[in-house]
Amino acid sequence: MSQNEITNIDELLNSFIDGELDARHQTEVQRLIKHDPQIAERLLQLQKCKRLVSSLPYTEAPQELLGNIKASLNERKPLVQQQQRLEREGARHLLVRQLISAAAMIALVGVLAAVIYSIVAPQVTIVKPVAVDLRLQPIAPQPKESTPVAVVATAEKPVEPILAEAKFTGRLELKTTSPAEVAAFINKAIEYNIPSGERSVAVPGKLQESHTLVCSRQNLRVLLDELNTVWDKIDSAVLLVNTDRPQGQIVVDAVTPEQISEIAKQNDFQSQIKTAKFFAAMNNITERSPGKEVQVAFDNSAPALITIPKPVLTSSEKPVTKTAGATQAEQQVLLTIVVTGSD
Amino acid sequence: MTKAANISIDDAALVQQCRQGDSVATETLIRRYQNRIYNAIFRICANPDDAAELTQDTFVKVIENIVNFEGRSSFYTWAFRIAVNLTLNHCQRNVKLGIKSLDAEDSKDDNEDKGVLKKFLANDNLPDPAVVAQNKELCRLAVKALMKLDDTQRAVIVLRDIEGMNYAQIAEVLDIELGTVRSRLSRARTNLREIVERWF
Repeated sequence: MSQNEITNIDELLNSFIDGELDARHQTEVQRLIKHDPQIAERLLQLQKCKRLVSSLPYTEAPQELLGNIKASLNERKPLVQQQQRLEREGARHLLVRQLISAAAMIALVGVLAAVIYSIVAPQVTIVKPVAVDLRLQPIAPQPKESTPVAVVATAEKPVEPILAEAKFTGRLELKTTSPAEVAAFINKAIEYNIPSGERSVAVPGKLQESHTLVCSRQNLRVLLDELNTVWDKIDSAVLLVNTDRPQGQIVVDAVTPEQISEIAKQNDFQSQIKTAKFFAAMNNITERSPGKEVQVAFDNSAPALITIPKPVLTSSEKPVTKTAGATQAEQQVLLTIVVTGSD
Repeated sequence: MTKAANISIDDAALVQQCRQGDSVATETLIRRYQNRIYNAIFRICANPDDAAELTQDTFVKVIENIVNFEGRSSFYTWAFRIAVNLTLNHCQRNVKLGIKSLDAEDSKDDNEDKGVLKKFLANDNLPDPAVVAQNKELCRLAVKALMKLDDTQRAVIVLRDIEGMNYAQIAEVLDIELGTVRSRLSRARTNLREIVERWF
């Protein structure tokens, strides 16, 4: 019989002695005992060992044990109470620390979230709607002698005020040695390109002639494209941007039609001012540089303009012009063009 | 149903009262278990003074920690668990310090012992427990043999053969698996038998 088998049989026999076997194993052990005298002898020896130990006399605790236990408990009572108090205080402090930590963590997460949001979130420019009165009262007093004449878009019925997202208002002052020729060209260009409802009647004067246009950006672009032809005859071209806001006016010297168009096409006042400032600075630098090399560099980097083909009359029919009512929603440009003769 | 289970019928109520600071309930609990715990400790450590001190420590610990007693096991096994742990720690400490119980060392394997043992083991029938208990020499030899076992084997034999716990209760007290109880008890009895047989 191997050592493992002996160990297993011993475990079985001990469990049998202790009554910890199920019915099947109990029957198996009884069969083994019946048929194997060696196992029977082993069982007897184990039972004797158990009997030897279990027969040991029961020893009772000393009489004074209960009193000793009580005394010990009473001695330790203050210690236990102090320990319990310390435990409670410790638990309370721990709770407070946990709460403070949690609050700090929440605050930190909030700050981090705000920082991350400020970095990641797209910058939204809020365009405030601006009420525009198209009845066009006389604009703020202009310097020099030029007095723009405001023209009512439709003379008979006043135009209802509309909300425009960003209206471009400006005053273009042109000086030329041949004012009559230039004024005539501009008159013609306006007549062909700007519907009658969107332009004023030319106001000729002794020294100057002015036009006021209330038109769409697209029409203005076409007109400015036309004016390119006569621009080489102009000695000085000054554009005042945002003339309806005396405190926010930007003056762009030596302005070109492309620049005017670029400024006017900006959809909000801030962009208009930014673009105008850029062109003002660029033109200023260009004028001051000896060979005007900067102009080329800036011109190359300037945003490309959309070239609108020049309208050509192919028949005797008059060009179809938009009525003021039809173009009212698009009329986001108020430009006064003043032509004066240079000294 | 075992004796332990019968006793623990109203243990839960006593424990509850004891937790509320009822000194009468506390005293009742101590009185109910002091002898059994003392006897088990005494059979493991074989020193009456140590056994009294360890029993006292056990009850102090039980009463102080009774508020933490969750009732997942019976109070009986919980109290015995504390007692056995304290006793085994005490025995291990004594082994490290080289202290051995005088009771285990004060006898010699003389001829008289051999004669008693020979008679006991040669008997083909199981001797009457009362007869064994009255035979002081046999008892002294039994204690001596017990002390030859290592502490954990002695603890499992005491819990089963003296305290009368079943295997499940022993597993709970010693915090071991049921199979471990079975094998440890078997090894302990086998060792005990071999120790006794070697003496004659």
